[in-house]
Amino acid sequence: MNFQSLINSLQYIKPEIVIAVVIVLVVTTDLIMGKNKSLLPWISIAGLIVASFFVIEQFSFKAVSSNANGSIGMITADPFGAFFKIIVIVSSIIIVFFSLSSNEIKEAFERHGEYYTLIFGMILGMFFMISSADLILIYLSIELLSLSSYILAGFTKHSLRNSEASLKYIIYGGASSGIMLFGISIIYGLTGTTNLYLLNSFFHLPQFGGFIFWLACILIFAGIGFKISAAPFHFWTPDVYEGAPITITAYLSIASKAAGFALLIRFIKVTFIDSVDASGYWQLLNLIDWKSFLILISILTMTLGNFAALWQSNMKRLLAYSSIAHAGYLLLGLAVLSDQGLIAILIYFAIYAFMNLGAFFVVMIIANKIGSEEIDDYKGLGYSMPFLSFSIAVFLISLTGIPPTAGFIAKLYLFIALVDAKMIAVAVIALLNTVVSLYYYIKVLKNMYLVRPEKEMPAVLVSPAAFAMLIVLLVPIFLFGIYFTPLVNLAKSSIGLMGF
Amino acid sequence: MTLETILFILFAGIAATTSVLMITRSNIVIAALFLILNFGALAGLYLLLNAQFLAVTQVIVYAGAIMVLFLFVIMLLKPEHERSIYKIPGMKIFAFAIAFLVFVQLAYLILFSSSSEKVSPDVQASINAGTIETIGRELFTNYILPFEAAGFLLLAATIGALILAKKKIE
Amino acid sequence: MILEYLPILAVFGFAIVFALATVFSSEIFGPKRPNAEKLSTYESGMKPVGTTSERVSIKYYLIAMLFIIFDLEVVFIYPWAVQFKKLFNQQGISVFVSMVIFLVVLELGYLYVYKKGGFKWD
Repeated sequence: MNFQSLINSLQYIKPEIVIAVVIVLVVTTDLIMGKNKSLLPWISIAGLIVASFFVIEQFSFKAVSSNANGSIGMITADPFGAFFKIIVIVSSIIIVFFSLSSNEIKEAFERHGEYYTLIFGMILGMFFMISSADLILIYLSIELLSLSSYILAGFTKHSLRNSEASLKYIIYGGASSGIMLFGISIIYGLTGTTNLYLLNSFFHLPQFGGFIFWLACILIFAGIGFKISAAPFHFWTPDVYEGAPITITAYLSIASKAAGFALLIRFIKVTFIDSVDASGYWQLLNLIDWKSFLILISILTMTLGNFAALWQSNMKRLLAYSSIAHAGYLLLGLAVLSDQGLIAILIYFAIYAFMNLGAFFVVMIIANKIGSEEIDDYKGLGYSMPFLSFSIAVFLISLTGIPPTAGFIAKLYLFIALVDAKMIAVAVIALLNTVVSLYYYIKVLKNMYLVRPEKEMPAVLVSPAAFAMLIVLLVPIFLFGIYFTPLVNLAKSSIGLMGF
Repeated sequence: MTLETILFILFAGIAATTSVLMITRSNIVIAALFLILNFGALAGLYLLLNAQFLAVTQVIVYAGAIMVLFLFVIMLLKPEHERSIYKIPGMKIFAFAIAFLVFVQLAYLILFSSSSEKVSPDVQASINAGTIETIGRELFTNYILPFEAAGFLLLAATIGALILAKKKIE
Repeated sequence: MILEYLPILAVFGFAIVFALATVFSSEIFGPKRPNAEKLSTYESGMKPVGTTSERVSIKYYLIAMLFIIFDLEVVFIYPWAVQFKKLFNQQGISVFVSMVIFLVVLELGYLYVYKKGGFKWD
């Protein structure tokens, strides 16, 4: 038995080791320092920065760990994973800063140690989700992510809404991970392995296929679909997003979704790939018609998300439905099943992270000031809080995808990929969906700028920290809207999955 | 009829009977006790399949720890007040439909998936797979990473249990 | 193979027979002269108050939850202990280190619960 190969594989999980050490550090510091919690956010940020160094190192890797007997292991290190890990790290750093200025989180001061520990629990789960190539580790990492986010969703415990969000999340999440485990067990029963690369080589054999196989894959998709809130597994999203503390809502809508997408892409590409042709189209094995399935799911998801968003009166619920719709667009990028579609997804995610985090951040600052997240209470905010209103206007316009914001570039690359793959009908449906989304985003702006408030509100100033944060989030929106070449180049160099 | 067959019929019979009894009892504590018996019978089935470790885990974790939790939750909820959930219309039909679907699917798996559909199994390896020796070796060599990750999962669970169940944390 | 478990089966059989025998022998051999006082609920000499199905405190739940977590820890240690000698000869100290890491992480949880008053009854 060659144990050395196992030790050698340690180099592929350096970022994960850093995150694990930070978890231990945060808990220990919390226990030692007692009432003084001011150190914790800074430990978190320092840990994330250290981890980001090791993640950047992974851009040059294209490797998979190996088992004790030299066979293929369960951890990969590749540019694709590194890209998603960077998204997770950046959004985590931003969320830590969010938490510093969130009233909700400040009120739960005595539980800050737990808060940061669980956030890092989520990060560890997401990192493993992104880079794992084994169904057992995939399941375990989804559980680690879910468990931490269930608790964080009910973290503040002040309102009934909060506990309801946590409970709903646990019940739906438990059911969906059970369904996924059932699918995994069928796959294991048929093949005797859980490793994605080995599964791929087995699936090349002619005897696979049939109803049971199809069912198992759909069951696994259900588990991942729950994480990315794709219809029809999306129903938890509005309730949880509304009830959870807003920092966690923002985090779930970016990081957790990014990890889910990374996992889905890796699962489909690694497990079912036959070959990649010269123009970058993936020829999948003829076991499941992933293309039609993904198109169906994505159209369902975006239509449902966009139309349900039309009737929302709560800002968090509106953003929840909008995030469902965006999951639909992203799934469409995957449904193209080509390198071009993958590039579009990566660009979309990088931009989506900034604009969605920005939107949630402004909603949080406004909620801090006026104590409400209802759209009706936003009346006339354009006059009393000019800068905040301007920022949210930019973020919402970017979410719609109107130039010169970065959201336009994201959608543009997606539509180019669709048209290149001759999926014109799908592209038209997506375009119509974008038009629908325009209506509910603009409704918020109309309330802020065109409707006079019922009572005069005094002008409110934004704190310097929040101002700086907003600038940090606004700059990429305009920058990538005009000068997007570096981002596109980064995405192009990050599509390399281990094995391809 | 070999001893294995007789034992299988015995354990499978107990498992099936107790699970039916469990879902039909109106007293939820009695239902929970039948569940314990069901877990015990399942442990017997695992033993017959040469999965000793799983059998031991089934008894220690499920019949032991998890059932304690079940009973505490039952006592916490005051089940007399929960009777009304049995009266949701169509719930029985829904439950039957789900159970039937799972049954059909499992039956299909067992009866119609020919052995050629599976990768030829290494018989000796799969007999040894359930022993504690094999699990110990696999867990601490190839599956060391999921093992350590499970440690962090349990840490998150500990913290979560305290946050959710404790009114005031010091 | 399965015959190795015969002693365990015998223990089970003995336990069942013993339990049934003690319950039913008093039923069969004991004298029965019931009256109203004897048939009333026995509550250590006190007058019974309310039913037995009282709601218990959520604190029990916390204890049961923590019990499961540390029970699982034992489940992991068991196969490790069985294979320790063999793996130690093959791989050296690392097999020990991997368990130590796992235990440190879990004991951190224990320490956390202890420090935050998870075991206090208030």
